[in-house]
Amino acid sequence: MSVLERLKAFFTRPKSEVIENISDNGLNQSKPMKTDDLQYKQTYSNTEETDNYSSKKMNDSQNLNVIDSEKDSKNENSVKEEKAEEKVEVKTNSKEANNKKEEKDSMTLLKDNEKLTLDNVDEDFTKLFIDAGIESLAVCFQCGTCTGGCPSGRRTPYRVRQLVRNCLMGLKDQVISDDALWMCTTCYTCQERCPREIKIVEIVKKARNEAAKAGFMAPAHKATGSFVIKTGHGVPINDATKELRNRVGLGELPPTTHKFPEALKEVQTITEITGFDDLIGFNKKTGELE
Amino acid sequence: MEIAYFLGCIMNNRYPGIEKATRILFNKLDIQLNDMEGASCCPAPGVFGSFDKKTWASIAARNITIAEDMGSDIMTECNGCFGSLFETNLLLKEDSEFKGEINEVLSEVGREFKGNINVRHFAEVLYNDIGLDKLNELVDKPLNLDVAVHYGCHFLRPSDEVQIDNAEKPTILDDLVESTGARSIPYKDKMMCCGAGGGLRARDIDVTLSFTKEKLDNMSDAGVDAIVNICPFCHLQFDVGQTEVNKKYGTNYNIPVFHLAQLLGLALGLGSDELTLDSHLIDSAPALAKLVEESDKVTGGE
Repeated sequence: MSVLERLKAFFTRPKSEVIENISDNGLNQSKPMKTDDLQYKQTYSNTEETDNYSSKKMNDSQNLNVIDSEKDSKNENSVKEEKAEEKVEVKTNSKEANNKKEEKDSMTLLKDNEKLTLDNVDEDFTKLFIDAGIESLAVCFQCGTCTGGCPSGRRTPYRVRQLVRNCLMGLKDQVISDDALWMCTTCYTCQERCPREIKIVEIVKKARNEAAKAGFMAPAHKATGSFVIKTGHGVPINDATKELRNRVGLGELPPTTHKFPEALKEVQTITEITGFDDLIGFNKKTGELE
Repeated sequence: MEIAYFLGCIMNNRYPGIEKATRILFNKLDIQLNDMEGASCCPAPGVFGSFDKKTWASIAARNITIAEDMGSDIMTECNGCFGSLFETNLLLKEDSEFKGEINEVLSEVGREFKGNINVRHFAEVLYNDIGLDKLNELVDKPLNLDVAVHYGCHFLRPSDEVQIDNAEKPTILDDLVESTGARSIPYKDKMMCCGAGGGLRARDIDVTLSFTKEKLDNMSDAGVDAIVNICPFCHLQFDVGQTEVNKKYGTNYNIPVFHLAQLLGLALGLGSDELTLDSHLIDSAPALAKLVEESDKVTGGE
């Protein structure tokens, strides 16, 4: 299940299902009962991708009873869970001989196209951050203080620690195509608490700049951008506020680009020169987004 | 004292009562607010900062040059504007290469960033330049209100650069609120974000509302009469967002929301009319009723 689908499910499914979905994702930090469950997921796999795959794999082989028995034993220690893991494989193997051979040979549940190799590494991507003055990226030791304090991570698939690591490794495609990259409110909690004083929010913004360049832009964001080009304001004035301003004697329009058309032209010149118009697909002739 | 008054977007284009209260307050404090004619959006860090750093810094720098031409520091009462303008100002002062790049853009509109002024936040100006004692003297009627103070994110952070107060356990805003006679009530996860920033409100309102609901739950548990903020975007999120939370989660929150300027306005004796409290979606009446009750008590006893 892609991150987007998970998030969608998070908000659209009934509560009982949502909770299940959360624990699937290792998200349910607020329920201490589930810690063993989390541990299990971690010993089973180190990344979300493998996690997704492993649960999918089990569903495929219709070993749902095995999953249930694992859920029942969630209070037990990880040694037992490893046994359960073996049990999964045994059952899988007995049912699907072909899979058995594949798994035995590869010793992993990952498919070939899910494995990260050096081919996935784009060193230039890492260099972008260093060149932008965010050298602190390189000293991250993955302690997880950032993710631990992240208010977004409590409710979304956004994982700051993972993002920092992926940027350092140069996993460009993973970083820029991930919807979760946009779940950060830039609240700086991670950066304030980072023991290595890494400029994490700068990393997030730089990664977003690269994502935007590659075309990963939400229509709503393009729209906000277009408001600034059209009016000079991300939130332009409306009739109701004009009336209020008049009522309290402030004058219908604030002394901003709203009142000074030549000033608005300056803003428009800037967004044209820097390529922002093209970036969001703003057509100057029609005055609208393409 | 003179200061270049940066308006931004949401305050002047949605909640003009904040602007009105500020102008009246600074008039009483004998500080001249000079309009920055032709200023634009700061621009919003969540959209422009996340999309293209060069565009973001160029527009912010253009705004700064307006104040440079006026020869005075900038004051804004929005955390987002403060974040964009403060950060750009610092960045261009420290990084001459980037400054050159931005000035190349600005030269096309006949401007140049010089780097000879500072960017300041309304709350910090009140605290450091005016002082709590003087504010307290201005208070016409002490406000009998229990208040949840919301700092927002870009007022104190990144604290290494901003250096206004401790970013985890600050007191500056609580002190300012209490100078009006109101009480700042502690609540769980007080420093948490309202959820609107970083472009999230525009892109994924459900995630934003989940943040806001957690804040409202915690504020409500503490039993407050009102929320006080120093950022029109947080203000909008607690006002409009509160109605959205109620709709989405079936809750029935009704906690009035005041920007610090409006709270000070109430303490100066300004009416809800001037503070445009009627432009709020969340009715301020319960908090105002508590204030009236209190003043009746005082006069009734005389």
